[in-house]
Amino acid sequence: MTTVRDASPVTTTSAPGTSDSGEGLPPSPGFLVAEGRRGRGIGWGARLELGLLIGPALIVFVAFVIYPVIMAAYYGFFSWKGFGPPTKFVGLRNYVTILTDPDFHEALTHNAFIVVMSLLIQGPIAIGLALLLNRKLRFRSLLRVLIFVPFVISEVVVGIGWSLMLQTDGALNGLLNKVGLGALGSEWLSNPSIAIWTLMIIITWKYIGFAVILFLAGLQGVPTELSEAASIDGASYWQVQRYIVLPLLGPTIRIWAFLSIIGSLQLFDLVWIIWGQYISSTAGTSTMATYMVSNGRNAGSYGYGSAVAVVMFFISFFVAILYQRFVLRRDTAGAITQGGS
Amino acid sequence: MSTKRFMAGAAFLAVGALALTACTSGTDAASSSEPAAGGGASSAAGGGASSAAAEPVTMTFWQNSTTGDGKKYWEDTVAAFEKEYPNVTIDVQAIQNEEMDGKLQTSLNANEGPDIFMARGGGKLADIVDAGQVMDITSGITEASKSAVGSALSAFAVEGKNYGMPVSILPSGIFYANDLFTAAGITTPPATISDLETADAALRSSGVDPIAVGAKDAWPAAHWYYNFALRACSQSVIEQSALSRSFDDPCWLTAGQNLEAFLKTEPFNKGFLTTPAQQGAGSSAGLIANHKAAMELMGAWDPGVIADLTADKKPLADLKWFPFPDVPGGQGAPGAMMGGVDGYSCWVNAPAACVDFLNFIVEKANQEAYANAFKTLPASTEAQSVVTDPALKDILNAYNSAPYVILWLDTQFGQNIGNALNVAVVDMFAGKGSPQAIVDAVNSAAAKS
Repeated sequence: MTTVRDASPVTTTSAPGTSDSGEGLPPSPGFLVAEGRRGRGIGWGARLELGLLIGPALIVFVAFVIYPVIMAAYYGFFSWKGFGPPTKFVGLRNYVTILTDPDFHEALTHNAFIVVMSLLIQGPIAIGLALLLNRKLRFRSLLRVLIFVPFVISEVVVGIGWSLMLQTDGALNGLLNKVGLGALGSEWLSNPSIAIWTLMIIITWKYIGFAVILFLAGLQGVPTELSEAASIDGASYWQVQRYIVLPLLGPTIRIWAFLSIIGSLQLFDLVWIIWGQYISSTAGTSTMATYMVSNGRNAGSYGYGSAVAVVMFFISFFVAILYQRFVLRRDTAGAITQGGS
Repeated sequence: MSTKRFMAGAAFLAVGALALTACTSGTDAASSSEPAAGGGASSAAGGGASSAAAEPVTMTFWQNSTTGDGKKYWEDTVAAFEKEYPNVTIDVQAIQNEEMDGKLQTSLNANEGPDIFMARGGGKLADIVDAGQVMDITSGITEASKSAVGSALSAFAVEGKNYGMPVSILPSGIFYANDLFTAAGITTPPATISDLETADAALRSSGVDPIAVGAKDAWPAAHWYYNFALRACSQSVIEQSALSRSFDDPCWLTAGQNLEAFLKTEPFNKGFLTTPAQQGAGSSAGLIANHKAAMELMGAWDPGVIADLTADKKPLADLKWFPFPDVPGGQGAPGAMMGGVDGYSCWVNAPAACVDFLNFIVEKANQEAYANAFKTLPASTEAQSVVTDPALKDILNAYNSAPYVILWLDTQFGQNIGNALNVAVVDMFAGKGSPQAIVDAVNSAAAKS
C-alpha cells in the first residue's frame, strides 16, 4: 500500500522533467527501470520459465478459486436447483431472505461467540504454555509434542472421537458414574445450553497446539540479552515477561489472533462431524458454513447456498480488512517501510 | 417440456463437437431417445431378440447397496440381464446412499447422467423431471410390469406420465422387540396413542427405553410428525398440500399439537438428539437390536438394518410390528399408512435398453430375489409370497388392506421444503420449537429455494 502511494507522486513529478528533455514518448523513471530490467533480465527463455513455473498454479488458482467465486456471485441472484443453467432470476431476494432469517442470525451469533471465546480462552492459555515450554524443563520435548498432537490429527477423527466420548452413554458420563459423580453427567452434545461450550472445549483442545507453536517461534525471536539486562537491573521474572517478552511477542500474537478469527468465522468440519447434517441449529452450534451447506447443497437450493457463500465471503473479507487496518497496520507498515528504505 | 429437452440435447451436441468421442455419444443419445417408446413396445411382445440384433450398448447403473447381499443381488441380476440381452453391457456402480443425491445432481448437471439411477419419487423426482433429465417411460412399461407392481407405480408419476419403476414398497409402522413387551407385561400392541403412552410407562419401569429415535438424522424424528399428520389430515388435504407445497389446513397444526402432547410424556431414549438412525450399536436400530429400547417407528427396510446390528448378525428373533396407533379426532382414514417406494429411473439420454432393464427387474423371480436379499417387501405383488419374516408379513397385510398410502412428506415436498420440515420437527423434539414453528418452516422454506 504505502510503496504504491509513495511511488506515484515521484513518477508524476519527474514525468514533466523527462518530457522536457526527450520528445515523443515521455517515459517515467519507474517505467525506464522496469523496461531496462525487462530488457536485460527477462528474455524469452526467462519468460518461458516464468510461464512454466507460474502457469500451472495460476491456472489451478483461477479455475478453482477465482472462477467459482465469480460464479457463486452470479448464481446468488437466481433461484436454482442445480439442474441445467439457472434461469429464474430473483434479484436480491436470496440476500434479503438470508439477512432476515433468524436461523442465519443464530448461526452468525454462534460464529461471533466462537471468535471471541477462542481469543479469550486460547490466547492466555497458549501464552502461558509457550512461556512455560520456553524454559528449561524436564521432558520439554515430550510436552511440546503432546500439546501439538491434537492439531495434527484430522478434524474428522477428532470429531468422531469426541462425539463418541461425549454421548449420553459415552465414556465421560460413564467415568463420572464410576467415580460417584454421576450427578455431574450431562447431555454434553444435545443440551442446547451446554453444547456450544462443549464445542469451545473441543476447539481449544484441537487448536491450542497451533497457537503454542506460533508463540514458541515468536519467543525464539526475543533476544535473551534484553531479559538478561532487565534482570540485572532488578526486574523479577514476571516483570520481564510482562514488560519485555510480551510486547516483543506482540506481532506474533496479532497474527495468531487474525488466523484464529478467520478460522472461527469459517468453522465447519468439527460441527458437521459431531452434530451431523441436521441438528447443529437445534443444538445451538450451527455456524454460517453449516447453514450454507444445509440450506444450499442439502436443500438442493444451489442459488440460495451461493448467496450465503457470498455473504460469508463479505463478512470474512470485511473483518479481515478492518483487522489489517486497525490492528495489523503497525506490523505491516514497519515491514514495508524497512523494505522500501 | 419437449422444447426444453430438445434444447438440452442441442447444447449437448454443441459441447460434443469439441471431442469426437462425445460427438458419437451425442448421436447415440439423439437416436435412442426417439425409439424409447417403440423399443419398449417391442420388448412387450416378448422379444429381446429384436433389440439383440441392434448394435452393442453400454449403460451405467447407480444403485445404493455397497455391501453384502444387496450388492450381490444387483451384480447377479445385471449378469442375468446381460445374458438375455447379449448386446447390452451394464456397468454397475455402488454408491453410498447419502452421497447419491449430490452425485446425481452433479452428473445430471454436467449432462453425463448415469443411464439407470435410483429414484424415490415425489418432489425430488419432479425436480429432475422439471430439468428434463429423466426419461418418460410411460409407454415403455410392459403390461406385465404394470400388473405386477400395481399402484406402487404411481409414486413415479408426474403430471400423468411415468418416470420410474418401483422395486420395493416401504410402508412404515412401529417395530418392537416382543420379549421386552412381555417383560413389561404388555400383551397386546397399542392401538391408540393413549395405549402407547401406557405401554411407554410400563416399559420405562421395566428398565428399558420405551422408544428409540435417531433424531441426529432428522427424518426418523420427522416421521413421527408425518404419522400424526396422517391421522389428523384427510387424504385430499395431504395431496393438496403436496401440490401447493404449503401447510394451509389447520390439521397440520393439530398434528404438531398432538405430537407435542406426546413428547411431553418423554417416551424417547436418552440423548436421542445425537442418536443416528442406522449406524452402529448406539443407533436407534442398534438399540432395538440389542434390547436397550423396545420400539422404533420405521419403514419396511428396518428388519434388514436391525439384523446387521444384532450380536450374531442374524435377524432379531422377537421383532414384531404394529401400525401407527390411532389418534382420536382426526380426519385421516383408519388404517391409512405413511411410506415410501424405492425404484429406478432412466436418464433422458439413456439407450432404449434401459427400459428393458426396468421391466426385467420387476419380473417375478428377480423381485423374489430382491425381497430375500434386502429382507424387505418387493414392489411386485406376484413376488410377495416369498416374504416370511413375521414383522414384514404383518406390514404387508396392513399395506394390502390400507385405504391409501401417503408418500413420505419430505420426499413429496422436495429437498428444500422437506429438510426445513424435518429440522423444525427435530427442534420441537429438543424443546426448542412449537407446532406453529413447523407450519411456518414449511411455508417460509420456499423463499430459500
